[in-house]
Amino acid sequence: MTNTAQQLDTTPLVDTGYYAAVTEAIRAEAARLLTDGTVAAVIGYQAGKRKGTAMPAIITDPARANDLIFSPACVNNLALYLTKAKKDIRKTGKVAIVAKGCDMRALAGLMGESQLKREDVHIIAVACAGVKGSGAATGEPLTTANIAKKCRECTVREPKGADSVAGSLPSLPELSPVEAEELARLEAMTPRERWSFWKEHFSRCVRCLACRSICPFCYCEQCMCDRNRPQAVETSPRPAGNMAWHIVRAMHLSGRCAGCAECERACPMDIPLNLLNRKMAKELKELYGHEAGLEPKEKGPLAEYREDDDQSFIK
Amino acid sequence: MKHDFEPKIVAFVCTWCTYAGADLAGTSRMQYPSNVRVVKFPCTGRIDPVFILKAFQKGADGVLVSGCHPGDCHYMAGNFHARRRFAAFRKLLEFVGVDLSRLQFSWVSAAEGGKWVEVVTELTERVRAMGPMLEFKELEIEECWSGKIDTPELKEAYNNI
Ligand code: SF4
Ligand code: SF4
Ligand code: SF4
Repeated sequence: MTNTAQQLDTTPLVDTGYYAAVTEAIRAEAARLLTDGTVAAVIGYQAGKRKGTAMPAIITDPARANDLIFSPACVNNLALYLTKAKKDIRKTGKVAIVAKGCDMRALAGLMGESQLKREDVHIIAVACAGVKGSGAATGEPLTTANIAKKCRECTVREPKGADSVAGSLPSLPELSPVEAEELARLEAMTPRERWSFWKEHFSRCVRCLACRSICPFCYCEQCMCDRNRPQAVETSPRPAGNMAWHIVRAMHLSGRCAGCAECERACPMDIPLNLLNRKMAKELKELYGHEAGLEPKEKGPLAEYREDDDQSFIK
Repeated sequence: MKHDFEPKIVAFVCTWCTYAGADLAGTSRMQYPSNVRVVKFPCTGRIDPVFILKAFQKGADGVLVSGCHPGDCHYMAGNFHARRRFAAFRKLLEFVGVDLSRLQFSWVSAAEGGKWVEVVTELTERVRAMGPMLEFKELEIEECWSGKIDTPELKEAYNNI
């Protein structure tokens, strides 16, 4: 499950000069914004402790702007730092955030849900060639073999509606959509086969809730799945509770999920959570024409209705 | 008629339309399968998908969700919201591997005692033909025994449940 990308070649997908240019642009923009006081903080990436890794960074001092980087290891969706779950950051004032296309979809979603105001953030978008997927060795460049699955079929590489854009996109080879193929494979199965597929995956879940902690849309102060009076979903990692947790998670995110695949990346048990997300996104597109996009929408597909919605399934 | 298998059907209904419709069926002395257990809610909009999961986990073989016809909701739009939510939830359940024939949605008004009888009878007979819903029940049992049901003693005990 971990790495379904074909082991094709190991030549870098894009020239390293591209990352240098993006990094430069982010640094310059961050320094400018912090110096002239437009923002109180910049949320971006800095180099991780091990060579070739990256981690989120929040800087408030223009002198630290040169710590910021962008590389194919910048996987995190930083929109997470602007949610209710991270209240302290927003208190500092207007913030700038480095966002890839998929992260911008999450920002748009948060704005649509009134969690964030457009005027409170300065978006430094990255023209994005993709990030590395799970299983890629640290330090190795981005290749067609190690690129994250979500990036293989990305439609938002050139983000629109940002305050500034870092980098310009080199031309990229066409990549096979492994996730869409996996989805089609599952859809072609009988219900029984799908049940055993998911049962096997869900049985490994240890209920660490990393998928929930990392999701920008799991910002509820109290999750229904933590309540125990009455208990809707069993909290310990046992089969019935796991199945219920995964169904509830997918349901609560349908129509809201930005498709950043952070849940799947954070999962220590390699459960293909993004397949569930994608499936629901696909169904909601077919049913109600909804798609997670870069523009905030006032209401998601499950928060509104039309009188003539399909009801062929209702007797 | 005597059957080998009596399915358990849980019906989540709204108090204003379907519950009243079921009540009408009762007071009019219409006959319908006693397999159905009715649980009353203020509105279909209050029926959380997790209730359906719980019902299956606790041994339901079929689930019915029923409320007011579109436009008749006591709270104006509860059933419109429910309609979208359940349209999505069905797709999710199907993707996880649940046979949707066990799950029925319907609009039954307070005046439609006859329709209630029809819906309940149809679902009961369909589920009866399908046999017991084992998937969710097995998950429950697996957590009690935390292992595979593969010894003869456990198998025998399981089959006697
Ligand atoms: S999904 Fe698109 S925007 Fe997001 S990291 Fe991959 S290529 Fe970049
Ligand atoms: S559910 Fe997963 S893919 Fe969707 S927004 Fe949350 S973390 Fe991202
Ligand atoms: S991150 Fe993975 S193991 Fe942890 S709760 Fe989520 S699905 Fe389960």
